[in-house]
Amino acid sequence: MMIALRNLNRQKKRSFLLGGAIAFGILIITLINGFAGSFVNNVSENFSHLFGGQIFIDGFEKSPSGRRISIIRDDSVLTDAIKESGIPTTYITKASSFSGTLIFQNNTAAQQVVGTDWQKASYVRSRLTLVKGSFANMDNPHGIIISDRVAKQLKVELGDTILAQLRTATGQLNVGEFQVAAVSHDPGLFGSIAAYANLQYVNTLLNIRSGDYQTLGIFLTQGENMDVAAAKLYSVLKGKVQMFKRETTTASTNPFTAMQRATQNETWSGTKYRLYTLNDRLAELKQIVGTLNTSGLVILLILLVVIMIGITNTFRMIMYERIREIGTMRALGMQRPTVRNLFLLEALFLSLGGTVLGLIASAIVMTLLHLINFGLNTPLFLLLKDGHMTFDLKAGQLIGNLLIVAVLTILAAYFPARKAARLNPADALRSTH
Amino acid sequence: MFRKFMKTTLLTATLLTAASFAAFAQQPDFHRILQRVDELNNFTTDFSAVFTVVSEKPGQDPSVTRAQIFRRDPKKQFLIVILKPDTQKGQGYLQVDNNLWFYDPQSRQFSHSSLKENFQSSDAKNSDFNQQSLAEDYTVAGSSDGKLGIYPVYVLDLKAKNNEVTYPHVKLWVRKDLEIVLKAEDYSLSDRLMRTAYYPNYAKIGDKYFPSRMLFIDNLNTGNKTQITVTDPSIAALPDYLFTKAYLERVNR
Repeated sequence: MMIALRNLNRQKKRSFLLGGAIAFGILIITLINGFAGSFVNNVSENFSHLFGGQIFIDGFEKSPSGRRISIIRDDSVLTDAIKESGIPTTYITKASSFSGTLIFQNNTAAQQVVGTDWQKASYVRSRLTLVKGSFANMDNPHGIIISDRVAKQLKVELGDTILAQLRTATGQLNVGEFQVAAVSHDPGLFGSIAAYANLQYVNTLLNIRSGDYQTLGIFLTQGENMDVAAAKLYSVLKGKVQMFKRETTTASTNPFTAMQRATQNETWSGTKYRLYTLNDRLAELKQIVGTLNTSGLVILLILLVVIMIGITNTFRMIMYERIREIGTMRALGMQRPTVRNLFLLEALFLSLGGTVLGLIASAIVMTLLHLINFGLNTPLFLLLKDGHMTFDLKAGQLIGNLLIVAVLTILAAYFPARKAARLNPADALRSTH
Repeated sequence: MFRKFMKTTLLTATLLTAASFAAFAQQPDFHRILQRVDELNNFTTDFSAVFTVVSEKPGQDPSVTRAQIFRRDPKKQFLIVILKPDTQKGQGYLQVDNNLWFYDPQSRQFSHSSLKENFQSSDAKNSDFNQQSLAEDYTVAGSSDGKLGIYPVYVLDLKAKNNEVTYPHVKLWVRKDLEIVLKAEDYSLSDRLMRTAYYPNYAKIGDKYFPSRMLFIDNLNTGNKTQITVTDPSIAALPDYLFTKAYLERVNR
């Protein structure tokens, strides 16, 4: 072991370059893994603020004609079930929403408008960056916050009155008037969810009573435990009210879509509830993370294959450089496996050194990237945490990467090592290399 | 003096009562008029025609859609096959019972649609091509006499009987002699005028009148309007296979 370490130290420049190549591979894969790991957490957290919770319950009734009506009339059974389940909640939100068309002087924009209680909607305020106007303007019962993209499309300014064409909860056409209270930064891909209004007025437009609403949202103390908490709450609710079956992710559909279909196809009387989590709604994100991690692994393997070819060649060169030394050691009684292991240990130390170096470099790069404040008015804001890049690394992934690097490096050095071990001591001593 | 006063009062009361009875007796039966309007629009036989839909939006070239329509009202079946433009050719709407399907030949997929949705981004609704049920969906909440152009009309104020009818409030101008609708205004639940429809021309086929030209004006988006012209009407019997998904798929091969 000491000889292996000493050998590494003999050719510092060469060892440093080889270790550096391994470190670079580790740096890239660690950054990708770290970003992918935080991706779901950050998007989930940002979405939980935009949607108003991590667990959601929708209520549905069927009209005599078979039409599905989204409504929660009496939520006492739901709030009791939340208490009974013992899930730790920060607060509970109530919202109604509609998908309609916003109209201003012949300009139109399709938009989902979420009605919420602005006295309590601090969760939305924390994630909406206002470009114009202020949250105080939402004191106007007809106030609406739209994204800058929609404001541009409609060509509206602050205070303008826009029309909203929508359908009531029972499917009748209705038209409402909103006043632009504020314009928010467009959160990019998900801009269609970025219009907010007052719950009471949205209820009026949907033709549902002021105390009723459509979606109950639950903010958990520990958002990442949403699936476990949802399962607990579901089992309590199932014993009290009619519930739609909780679906799991399949290759062709996500659980939310499957539950959506069930509300259309099934028939029932009274109110039937649907419970889902943010993870259910964002099931596609898990596929993105899977793709990112797979891409990272493929990149790592390609890099390592290139590095391994370099290592094989280098060790072959090392073997020829040390051929007389090997002959001497063999002549002094060193056994073949010991000679082979000497080379393999050298390769192992090289990979360990490179990995440690790569991890240190990753930590430095991640810290520097985390220090940059991208702000909330960036199209990437959903991927960031409070405007900062974050990295979430799993110990399993790190150990896995380390093992891959170690195994491949040893494999790369194995054949030169075996060749060195098989050298005839007399031939080696006579060698003029 | 008192007797004279009583006589005058009684006489006046009698005259007023008689006059109000007479007025009531002359009041047309508006529910029957609505039924008649429905009857004239709904066919007891099969019906087919070609509809040309011209939609205009400010700042855009008018879009023209031609569609072949087949209706079998007694069985609540109808089929629309788009003939023009080429980009939408072969798309279709098929109603079987209460299900309305939209077929897209590009994806070869059927998807659920609704009579309440607009037809091909125009101001006409899918339901405008189908049979109507005014008497079933609305009650006459008010009425007055009027004139539209040269025609004396009843102006009927209709309120929806339930909260699932697309337009909660409709105003109809019904020609007195033929009891056909000349104009309609559709209002939202908040009572804002959303759409005005004009039916300037009717054609008679068998004992039915159907509007051969319709003009829909979008009152929310000023300048948006859609004109529909109906040609080649026929009440000849249609084969059963027309009202099937298989036909829509086959017609695109």
